Amino acid sequence: MNVLERPELLEFIVDRANVGIFALDREMRVLLWNRFMADHSGRGAESVVGRNLFQCFPDLPRRWLEKKISGVFLLKNFAFTSWEQRPYLFRFPHGRPVTGGIDFMQQSCTFLPMLDAAGGVDAVCVTLVDATDTAIAHRKLEGALATVRESAQCDGLTGVFNRRRLEERLSEEFYRVRRYGGPLSLVMFDIDHFKRVNDVHGHLAGDEVLRIIAARVAAAVRASDVLGRYGGEEFCVVLPGTELAGARIVAEKLRELIASEPVVYKDVALDITISCGAAQAAAEHTVWDELVRIADAALYRAKGEGRNRVCS
Amino acid sequence: MSTPEFNEEHRDALQEVANVAMGEAGAKLAELLGTFVRLSVPRIEISAATQVPDILGKLLGSDNAVTAVRQSFLSRIQGEAIVLFGEAGCAELADLMGYEGAFASAQRREVLLDIANVLVGACLGGVFRQLGLELGYSAPSLLAENTLADRVIHTESLNWRRALLVEVNFRLEQGAFSSHLVILLPEHSIDRLRESLEQMMATL
Repeated sequence: MNVLERPELLEFIVDRANVGIFALDREMRVLLWNRFMADHSGRGAESVVGRNLFQCFPDLPRRWLEKKISGVFLLKNFAFTSWEQRPYLFRFPHGRPVTGGIDFMQQSCTFLPMLDAAGGVDAVCVTLVDATDTAIAHRKLEGALATVRESAQCDGLTGVFNRRRLEERLSEEFYRVRRYGGPLSLVMFDIDHFKRVNDVHGHLAGDEVLRIIAARVAAAVRASDVLGRYGGEEFCVVLPGTELAGARIVAEKLRELIASEPVVYKDVALDITISCGAAQAAAEHTVWDELVRIADAALYRAKGEGRNRVCS
Repeated sequence: MSTPEFNEEHRDALQEVANVAMGEAGAKLAELLGTFVRLSVPRIEISAATQVPDILGKLLGSDNAVTAVRQSFLSRIQGEAIVLFGEAGCAELADLMGYEGAFASAQRREVLLDIANVLVGACLGGVFRQLGLELGYSAPSLLAENTLADRVIHTESLNWRRALLVEVNFRLEQGAFSSHLVILLPEHSIDRLRESLEQMMATL
């Protein structure tokens, strides 16, 4: 059977295909409006065909769409829109009201010039595909990727950067300073007698102390500072644009902040203190680990000198 | 570099066809945008596929970050068109194309995809119409953003040895906007293009 000998079959396909199909003349009058368009717009062909598209649908982005369609007439060329850049042309409801989280049906369109026998264009045909499912899947994937990215960068217990990410950021800052100049400091701090907290009050109490200390410090540092858990009860704060004197001030502020208020765990107030070591990157340092080594040595001295203090 | 299959005569014929097509494309784009545009004389080159990244790097300066849009086209001849954009002048062109409001990154992408589609359609359509071929196009998509020109195409992903490059520079006469259109044809399409050029030359 040759479909071309059965025009009613072609008509049926155009009308019932599960994609939107409509056609416009140069004056933007609707020439064709298939069932998909009627069902989703709530306006049947009889109320749209012969009328101006923008009068029927005043919500359409008129200036842009007219330019796009006139480009198809002029260039005799295909044109496209994708849901990724422009989520929809028509405000059609979509079939996923429960699982969607998306306002209107996401649409990808193709604009085809309809050539007449003389090679001129007398109409533009538009096909509109429902991309809502793809958009939802894409969104879920993006969300999952963001979670994975975050969990690969953050410490599971405290939520601050983990050691890998901390070192990455420190090395970025270190090499930026080596190239462009400017100061860079590092404060390393450690919770005093943390083992005792674990031994006396249990590991859950220890975990809570780590969480609370990290949260207090995170709230106190500047947005440009980088806080991370270096390991165990040891944390680092990378301080871009900060000289040693400034780093000492920051360290002193953090020490004071922690010592001034006990950590409460199950109605028990635990007096917690921290010891800090501060160091500034210098011209003779060629690798970022040297900065960690110097801050660590200063921290060690702070411990030796009686804890709850800052050394540099 | 010429090869026994695609010789100087073919190249000259393609150059002629491309020149005519760009003349028409320039006039149409000017009408569409309502401003004067400049399309350079197309540069045609057959090269080893592995050389393509270097050629793009030289064309645009390997220090410059570009955004690249790709679009495939097909008929008897198939290939890919790549349009490379610099940073400048994009907002201006967006306005000429009827875009309104805040120039956010999603819209910037849409404008670039749109311009690429218009450029590719105007230029390629003209070339292939003269050869009696009507092209179909895929929707354009982003190939790379803020990437150095010589890193836009990864040679590992090319599965052919030779490529025909047709390069055109498109810019607005006023303002800073400028872009490069590069058409890449893989080997089997080069052979078919050669046949089509021979047919055309025979009828002249």
